[in-house]
Amino acid sequence: MKALLKKDFYVLWNSMKALLLLIVIFSLIPSGFQNVFAVLYAAMLPYSALAYDERSHWDQMAAAMPYSTRDIIRSKYVLGWITSAGAFLFSTMIQLVVRSYLKMPTPVSLLFVSMCISWAIIAITLPFMFRWGVEKARLTMVLIIALVCGAAGALTSIATMSVAIGGDKIPCPLIVGAPVAAIVINLISMPLSEKWYERRK
Amino acid sequence: MNAIEFNHVNKSFGSFAIEDLNLTVPTGTICGLVGENGAGKSTSIKLLLNALRPDSGTIQVLGMDTCDPAYVAVKNDIGVVLDDAWLPETITAKQVGSIMADTYINWDSALYESYLTRFSLPRDKKFKDFSRGMRMKLSIAVALSHDPKLLVLDEATAGLDPIVRDEVVELFNEFTREETHSILISSHILSDLEKLCDYIAFIHEGRLLFCEEKDRLLEEYAIFVGTTEQADSLLPEAIVHREGNGLGGVRAMVRRSQVPATLTLEKPTMEDIILNLVKGAKRS
Repeated sequence: MKALLKKDFYVLWNSMKALLLLIVIFSLIPSGFQNVFAVLYAAMLPYSALAYDERSHWDQMAAAMPYSTRDIIRSKYVLGWITSAGAFLFSTMIQLVVRSYLKMPTPVSLLFVSMCISWAIIAITLPFMFRWGVEKARLTMVLIIALVCGAAGALTSIATMSVAIGGDKIPCPLIVGAPVAAIVINLISMPLSEKWYERRK
Repeated sequence: MNAIEFNHVNKSFGSFAIEDLNLTVPTGTICGLVGENGAGKSTSIKLLLNALRPDSGTIQVLGMDTCDPAYVAVKNDIGVVLDDAWLPETITAKQVGSIMADTYINWDSALYESYLTRFSLPRDKKFKDFSRGMRMKLSIAVALSHDPKLLVLDEATAGLDPIVRDEVVELFNEFTREETHSILISSHILSDLEKLCDYIAFIHEGRLLFCEEKDRLLEEYAIFVGTTEQADSLLPEAIVHREGNGLGGVRAMVRRSQVPATLTLEKPTMEDIILNLVKGAKRS
């Protein structure tokens, strides 16, 4: 799996510097919505990696190499977890610096829940990509964009309303429930992706 | 032990099907897979790599069933060159080496570097800027740099200039000097197969028509060039395929044993044999 992750990181780094820069820019802006979007946007990187794989017919090469179906599938999940977690950590650290200077509270819990939602989005949509391929699963891409934008809007609204009624930025049940839900959905999603990918043979 | 065994393999795609494929490649030999475009050569190779699952039948590679989960580990001993090097466009040869070092247990970085030098491949140029010949050379370098016991080559010499092609064919020949090394090669360049192969397997419309020793094929068939009357006097079963020779006479591929010794016959090339067999198969 290390080789597959390395390949994806090379591809993303070599071909998507502009998009990675977007995550950096969104992380720099002291706005809850922009920071949440940066973390959620990172969930889309596995789809970019999959699209590059498809364009270069990498699956044919991978089939000739000692990679199991499990490794091929899980590497894309792990890539999504790493990029989302990386965006969360990066955004949080930047905001700690920027907001301490501006004397504003840092939305750590908001960004943490965003990361969990990123993981859930990956788990909901990846099986469709593995079943039909990125090219054919265009409708799923629309679903991903809707989920990313919808989740970013919903989370910032929850944060704003929660503060307005005198509570914390993000309600406690959401902070506890989001990671549990993300883990459960991923545990269901991975075997499904493996099954659907095998069907393509 | 055989390097490759297809046993009654069937795979259907609706309009096209591999039917009852039985093919054996003994260890230490080179088998050439020939046939027209769409005959089933690449499908057979995908089946043996487990990129496709057979509908029925079994395939064993280096003693392991391809449907066995443990087959993944056996792929450490298989070097594969497909009809194009399907590597991500934006990575470099240096990055390919780094990825493969984490892919293959027996990856030899020094050997890979030596192939890059030998093939004059740039280390830091993006793969999308490689010519087809360079792409194939990179793919061959990867296939040979992890001490494989079996090479599976699907049009591996296509796109190479004659000098490099000759060098690559020599590399493959060197590879089989080890008794435990075997090659399955599909190619349209029949002169390469003539130089390399011990066996020739001929696939036509998804069916294996024969798998014979190359020398036996060269002994069995001959080229007859003569008059129409002489050709008409031959037994119908002696003629594989006949056509006009452009000078009012006939040029035919015949079965040497069924032609009277009084007729003069020419020695065929593998290209003559395969082309005439394809044309003969189409006619029948």
